Amino acid sequence: MAEYSCLIVEDSPMMRQLLVFALARVKNLRVTEADDGVDGLRKLASTKYDVIITDINMPIMDGLKLVKRVRSDPVHKDTPIIIITTEGSQEDRQRALQLGANAYITKPIQAPQVIAKVKELLKIE
Amino acid sequence: MLPSLALEAEGTMTEYKGRHTTPSDRPPDDLKKERDAFIQQFFRKGAQFTEELLRENERLRERVGELETENRRLRAHLASDEAIRDLLRKIEELETEKVELVHRSVRAEAVKENYGAQYSEVESELAHFANLYVATTQLHAARSVRGVLRALKEMLAQLLGAAAFAVYFASDDGSELIAITSEGVESAEVARHPMGKGDLIGRAFATGEVIFSAGQGLSRELAAALPPSRDLTKASIDDPAAVIPLQIDGRVIGVIAIFGTLPQKTEFVHIDQELFKLLGAQAAPALVNARLFTDAGRKVPGIQAFLDLED
Repeated sequence: MAEYSCLIVEDSPMMRQLLVFALARVKNLRVTEADDGVDGLRKLASTKYDVIITDINMPIMDGLKLVKRVRSDPVHKDTPIIIITTEGSQEDRQRALQLGANAYITKPIQAPQVIAKVKELLKIE
Repeated sequence: MLPSLALEAEGTMTEYKGRHTTPSDRPPDDLKKERDAFIQQFFRKGAQFTEELLRENERLRERVGELETENRRLRAHLASDEAIRDLLRKIEELETEKVELVHRSVRAEAVKENYGAQYSEVESELAHFANLYVATTQLHAARSVRGVLRALKEMLAQLLGAAAFAVYFASDDGSELIAITSEGVESAEVARHPMGKGDLIGRAFATGEVIFSAGQGLSRELAAALPPSRDLTKASIDDPAAVIPLQIDGRVIGVIAIFGTLPQKTEFVHIDQELFKLLGAQAAPALVNARLFTDAGRKVPGIQAFLDLED
């Protein structure tokens, strides 16, 4: 029985698969995938997730816009968000954090790092 | 004692008096005086002696009292000493126990650290296997050349942290390498690469060995010609960070050249070498298979094609 839920918003099927693989090792975590920001918002409209992991560079709606929309939604405004992107500069990190992201992970991602961050935000031992 | 002595003395005097009541026996006055003086002195000495005895008795009583007090004090002291000895013994036992517990704790800590390190290692290995599994799946799941190249680009960017790269195939006459896709560089700059230049790309194609900046995968001669380690972010088209030969059926048919990495990707690690090997072995078959499948009109051959095993 899943106690926690996670939404992965990522346009790359390979990255999604990697994240799903990594998060499969977090006990009681149900993972849902979305192809881009719009698909992510569609899924958020019907479900409340405990944590959101989103890429920044995506077609249709990028991750930063998604973060902005999520933070302005009363239902999801407090949901922890982890940004994953290829951009490693301090500016991008600051921008994402200013918009309301809780954590920032740069690619290439390391599964243990993603697991640790999700556990930290969900307060899982 | 004094009254009875007095009575006894008195009685003796009465008898003496009674015995000398007759006039014939009456003693002379001087003798009487002497007798009285003697008696008085006797009584005085008796009283004096009695007083001395009483004093001595009192002194002895006091001494007994003192000794009893001293005895009690010594007994208490002895008991106290015994208690202290017990406490010291207990402290010693506890100290020994403490040392043993500290040793156990140190051993447990070492075991815990060892388990922690092993756990991290296993976690890391699992992540590596997941990367390799996902990479292989993505490469072979694509059924078109475009799809395989997209997967290849993703692998290079997402798993290896490559920011600029090109995938080359050898020309039909084998005179040059032709880029079939590139990323992060001007296509024209990397479109063609003549064979026999003797550079890293040419050498990787010729030797079939993965070559990357740290020098691994090189022959001793080539490794010696390169710096022992290098910051990957300084790689360029003329000085690639890594070159991976693409093989199929034991033949090298192309290479992947990584000209630059993401800013945060400053070195290649163990898993990168595994990914290089995987790319070298899997990318070319995936591309060729996709091409053949597309050329065959995306039709799966009939069953007979799988029963005829003359190849």
